Amino acid sequence: MYSDLLHALPDVFAWTNFAAVVIGVIAGIVVGAMPGLSATMAISVLVPFTFGLEPLVALGLMAGIYNGAMYGGAIPAVLLRIPGTPAAVATTFDGYPMAQKGEGGFALQVAVVSSSIGGIASAFALMLLAPPLSKVTLLFGPSEVFWVAVFGLASIIFLLGGNPIKGLISACFGVFVSVIGSDPIYGNDRFTFGQLELLDGINIVILLVGLYALPPVIDLLETPLKTDGVNSSKLGTEPIWKALPRMNYWKTWLRGSFLGIWIGILPGAGGSMAAFMSYNEARRTSKHPETWGEGEPEGVAAAEVANNADTASALIPALTLGIPGTAVAAVMLGGLLVHGLQPGPMLFRDNPDIVFGFMWQFLFGAILLVLLGGSLATNSFARLLNLPRPLLGSVIIVLMLIGVYSINGRMFDVYLMLGFGAIGWVMDRLKFPLPPVVLGLILGGFAEENLRLALRIGRGDPMVLFQNTTSLILVALTVAVVVGPTLKKRFIDSRKKA
Amino acid sequence: MKTPLTALALAVTATAAFAEYPDKPVEVIVGYSAGGGTDVMARTVAQFLEQELGDGASVVVKNIPGAGGQIGFTEVSEAAPDGYTLGTFNLPAALALTKDRAADYDVDSFTYLANFVEDPNTITVAATSQFQTLGELLDAAEADPGAITLGLSSLGGNDHFAANMMQDASGAEFTLVPFKGASNARTAIMGGHVAAGTMTLGQTSNFPDELRVLAVLADERSPFRPDVPTAKELGYDVQMSSLRGIVAPAGLDEATTDQLRAALSAVNENPGFQEMMAEQGNPIAFMLGDDFAETVSEQDGIASRIWAETPWK
Repeated sequence: MYSDLLHALPDVFAWTNFAAVVIGVIAGIVVGAMPGLSATMAISVLVPFTFGLEPLVALGLMAGIYNGAMYGGAIPAVLLRIPGTPAAVATTFDGYPMAQKGEGGFALQVAVVSSSIGGIASAFALMLLAPPLSKVTLLFGPSEVFWVAVFGLASIIFLLGGNPIKGLISACFGVFVSVIGSDPIYGNDRFTFGQLELLDGINIVILLVGLYALPPVIDLLETPLKTDGVNSSKLGTEPIWKALPRMNYWKTWLRGSFLGIWIGILPGAGGSMAAFMSYNEARRTSKHPETWGEGEPEGVAAAEVANNADTASALIPALTLGIPGTAVAAVMLGGLLVHGLQPGPMLFRDNPDIVFGFMWQFLFGAILLVLLGGSLATNSFARLLNLPRPLLGSVIIVLMLIGVYSINGRMFDVYLMLGFGAIGWVMDRLKFPLPPVVLGLILGGFAEENLRLALRIGRGDPMVLFQNTTSLILVALTVAVVVGPTLKKRFIDSRKKA
Repeated sequence: MKTPLTALALAVTATAAFAEYPDKPVEVIVGYSAGGGTDVMARTVAQFLEQELGDGASVVVKNIPGAGGQIGFTEVSEAAPDGYTLGTFNLPAALALTKDRAADYDVDSFTYLANFVEDPNTITVAATSQFQTLGELLDAAEADPGAITLGLSSLGGNDHFAANMMQDASGAEFTLVPFKGASNARTAIMGGHVAAGTMTLGQTSNFPDELRVLAVLADERSPFRPDVPTAKELGYDVQMSSLRGIVAPAGLDEATTDQLRAALSAVNENPGFQEMMAEQGNPIAFMLGDDFAETVSEQDGIASRIWAETPWK
């Protein structure tokens, strides 16, 4: 198979194929940077057009967009506290405080370098380890995946921070939203009020855009004359090669890449969970956890490395088994199908030049990110903040409306988004944290579906959840994550007393 | 002043009415997102239909996803029957969902133009499974009712109906496990999380070393897998498949119906089209007009019967 890899390389450098990656990365950054437009959307809009393109041109565009957008989402997350994509939520935690301190330029540079590193690691995993990693995916049946979701929720619950009660209420709201739609087994309608549009459940992007983008826009418009504390002259931009030596995050990068790759190969969870877990782990092991959330560059690095590290790895189960690891990978599968490329082991045998070429394109997309992303973000997008606030706010609102409308091409979703926006604004005012809502929606639905499948397989016997090694390992990890910090604290306290 | 204008308006309308169909773009509505199996078929048909309709005709695919295809099917049934709105039609899904929930259309809401794809269901186990034949699997499911788990893509679709009909024909009892989509079901079979599964033959074709297809639920062996016996040969007269065709709203006038059916026939006979469909792994089973309508009403009967006997929600 490694000879196939090399054999596929020359085609990748055909100028049209390479240009596709470059254009894809730039388009991806732009799309990711616009609140409301996501990689999933950009690629689904692209899929019909790729019908007439050469496979490697089409796939190169998609690989570029995916890589670009996962970084692009960080730009508004840092500058405006609006995550451009679902995966960039964790980037707001430290990115935005950095921007407020006048370090926005450095935050963006950390983001681009970390994204690139994550993307490169992920591309290598896809190129070199796809077959063995797809065997790992096979180990995860419904009961194992259920425990992954529980583990994810448990390890992230510490993100609730400040007020755990408010955090739990937020998480419950997210889980409630995940329940809307037809139930995953029988297809009974739940809270749909006869609306066909709600039957498929609520798209995460609709929730995210409403919840996260509308409140800051309202803030922008409430004080139209205030000039921003942050503007590009204060971004603190310096050339990226000068900024590089300040980035000594090897451990975080390594851990984040590993987590991103691992979560990518599990079906369904996707980029947001990878970013949250990486952020959480990096903070937990940090020597100075108290600076996190107040502008710690390593926090940006942790989130951004992980949300790019699951890009290519999410394609491992997608290409080998037909089960995409993320929503974006699901849309990309459609793009492959358009070219008659059916997932499965035969894909690697029948079309090695295309499949391995696609993998190379992922790698080059990730590398190009540093070259294109750094200057694009700091030189153009950051200047957006110089716009008058009413203009900036209106532009964002227009983007939100377009983005949400184009998911399914219906106004219903736009109204839904505005409704979530109103809820988000109230929550923001009452200081309810927003990240647990997003996680509740993602992991809640995921946990429910798999729990019910597992119980069906076990014919109602809950012991089915504890019947194999993988499940038991995950249970142990969950317990460790929940009990660990308390035990550690007690241990330290008792040592102090002694 | 008034009379000449009216006359002119009339003249214009008249020419429009007599102008050759199609004189504006024809829309094909797909009830699923771009890039799915149905979407790819629609785009392939659209591309060749443009040639066959000739005269610079334009055929545009429009995706209206949602509610398992229902929003798109409804849109087609409610469109004007003027030949400018067509739609893809998935069987048994499109009709099954009129049984288990309120739907604004039924089997009589469409003009059935042509069916293109028929992918028969199979009974499949992992290559490492202890079950070598359909008989062994059914015996095990009969000996200990419910002990054999059977993965499928969802309740109320061809997989579910296939499982149900197989149980009726054999007296075996499975525990049905409806995953989200056929790929998830297939992965669970390969990972050993369910004992067996039912999916279409096309969905097994890229996993020859990982899956063992025990039987195909069709009248005849498939040319793609002549080595796999039919359930009928093995003594269980069960047929179930997934079909994909092209329909128009009910009430399409005869001339346009004939013109479209002729054009779709010509599409089917085009070697270029056959080649593209084969590349996509789409087994062609072309049925025109009345044949298609007959299959539709058969499928409708099966869905009604299963819904009446064992409602799934």
